[in-house]
Amino acid sequence: MNLAVDYPWVLLALLLNLLPLFNNGVSQSHYPSVQILPADILSSFISVLIKMIAIAAITFLVLALAGLNRGQQSREHIGYGAHIVLLLDISKSMDYTYAGKAPDGSEESKSSAAKRLLTEFVKKRPHDRIGVAGYSTSPLFFMPLTENKQAVLAAISATDLPALAYTNISKGLLMGLSFFQQQSAQTGSRIILMVSDGAAVIDPDSEAKIRRWSKQLNVRLYWIFMRSENSPGLYEKPEDPRDDNAGAMPERYLHLFFSSLGIPYKAYQAENPRAVQEAINDINKLENMPLYYVEKIPKQDLSTQCYLLASLFISLLLAFKLVEAKP
Amino acid sequence: MNILNNLKDYRFYCLSLALLSMLMIFIKPHSIKLNPTYNFTFIVDITRSMNAKDYQLKNEAVSRLQFIKQALNKVVLKLPCESKVGLGIFTERKSTLLFEPIEVCSSYAEIENVIDMIDWRMVWAADSRISKGLASTMTQLQNSGSHIIFLTDGQEAPPVNPRYKTDFSDLKGKLKGLLVGVGGLHNVPIPKYNNQGQQQGFYKQGDVPHRSTFGMAPTSSVPVEGYNARNAPFGSAKVSGDQHLTHLYEPYLQQLSHEVGWSYHRLEMSEHLNSVLQTPEFAKQQKGLSDNRTYFAVFSLILLAVIYFPSLRKVNYF
Repeated sequence: MNLAVDYPWVLLALLLNLLPLFNNGVSQSHYPSVQILPADILSSFISVLIKMIAIAAITFLVLALAGLNRGQQSREHIGYGAHIVLLLDISKSMDYTYAGKAPDGSEESKSSAAKRLLTEFVKKRPHDRIGVAGYSTSPLFFMPLTENKQAVLAAISATDLPALAYTNISKGLLMGLSFFQQQSAQTGSRIILMVSDGAAVIDPDSEAKIRRWSKQLNVRLYWIFMRSENSPGLYEKPEDPRDDNAGAMPERYLHLFFSSLGIPYKAYQAENPRAVQEAINDINKLENMPLYYVEKIPKQDLSTQCYLLASLFISLLLAFKLVEAKP
Repeated sequence: MNILNNLKDYRFYCLSLALLSMLMIFIKPHSIKLNPTYNFTFIVDITRSMNAKDYQLKNEAVSRLQFIKQALNKVVLKLPCESKVGLGIFTERKSTLLFEPIEVCSSYAEIENVIDMIDWRMVWAADSRISKGLASTMTQLQNSGSHIIFLTDGQEAPPVNPRYKTDFSDLKGKLKGLLVGVGGLHNVPIPKYNNQGQQQGFYKQGDVPHRSTFGMAPTSSVPVEGYNARNAPFGSAKVSGDQHLTHLYEPYLQQLSHEVGWSYHRLEMSEHLNSVLQTPEFAKQQKGLSDNRTYFAVFSLILLAVIYFPSLRKVNYF
């Protein structure tokens, strides 16, 4: 139990406690000589008692005014969860439907489907720390890893606005990995959940970095590939072997690259929102490993208790006042 | 008879009043009062000219972007709880949101972190079409209920063809906001970075276009030198200007703000920005509880002090 006050300067008012030491609050009467009064232990005791009650009343009032509280505490827990970076594709094509058309009301666009399903996912994972990053031509930092679900949802919801330009996956991945680089020690599993509808060639510089970082940081990678109609899938082999290269089939080659990283990796090829939903449910199940986390307990205000005690002591003083004897 | 006698003592009245006041603490601890709260979406220009260093922080030259970041952090810190803040960045012809408005007190750490991470390298395309960007931002956010605070230096790059000015007549008055001018009034060079993010000198005169050559040339009765309707509609003269340098285009921003019906503010100190933001124009009155207990408690404390204040006459205390 650690006690704290909000306004320490108010504690200066505790100096008022000196007052009862010099004055016991009893009405005085003239007496020819106090020396002839016999010393009475009971009287002295009561006199001291009244002073102590007065001091107690003043002290509790001042403590309440200073905002006494039980300071913020934290409790350690073992729960189920992970550190997840949501890496979202915000390129232009995400604004179209799976059929590759502009959304007309009957079918939602890939980006709003992703937004809706990820929102549900975040709400289902109370103990995760979640961060959000996005990429188009350049990587965008939306939200750091945080337990604050309200902030995460606000960032996911912002990705629904009209999307930007092209797809630069390598920069996006590096941004996603950098979230974990800032962490000093690993607690719980580290996951990058990438949602995209396309792929791009990874340049050699980034390739080396991604290989190194993903190993070092002990990351697990999930890729939800929102496949549009008539676009090549992750597992398709071209008919013409001359087309079998990263430029012509970026999706297939990105999948091969991820598989070769030597980290736990799983790809989901989703051709409609239901498949995305299934993929997310699957990840939800897979990523329920025990996680050590610290729960913060907000500070507890103790001023009401202080006011109650102060009232009690003031009533006692009033009672003493009423039974005061006059010579 | 003792009791009646004691009733004549002023201390009795003081104690009774103190006790009554303590009772009031429990009977009426709070009263309802209206607190102003705010809802802002800050849109930060992250185009190249924002890297120009014409601000000072702790005797060190800092870029416009860095200055904006520290100013925003301070402004967010000063906003009353229950206020909401969203953040977006602008480049090319539109802006994108990084997060929608969230409550400031519970999410201050996250907001600060994202503000710090804003970087010119987040741009998804070159060009700095400020009026177009402002119009698209206003269109995007017109139903969000948030006030837009658009921070920019007003340098359109490449320069705008006056024929194709953005029309704000549909948007004027749709939503409230503030245009914040960032930068100094004197020309400074714009740092040039390579693709590794290292600075390589500054932009030179030959690096940037100094006039618009887009679309149809402005018509004028005076023929331009070397004019050819098909091959050189803007004339053949070599135009050089100071577009490779940058300063705050204040008159342009003032005119823009006039066109959208907003006010204009030049960013100098975060305190000033704070005072133009926390105005009744942007405030929404929200019912909140104010603590009455303090008044009652202070009153009781004063009464107790009066009771025990040492009497100045010389008396014996026992």
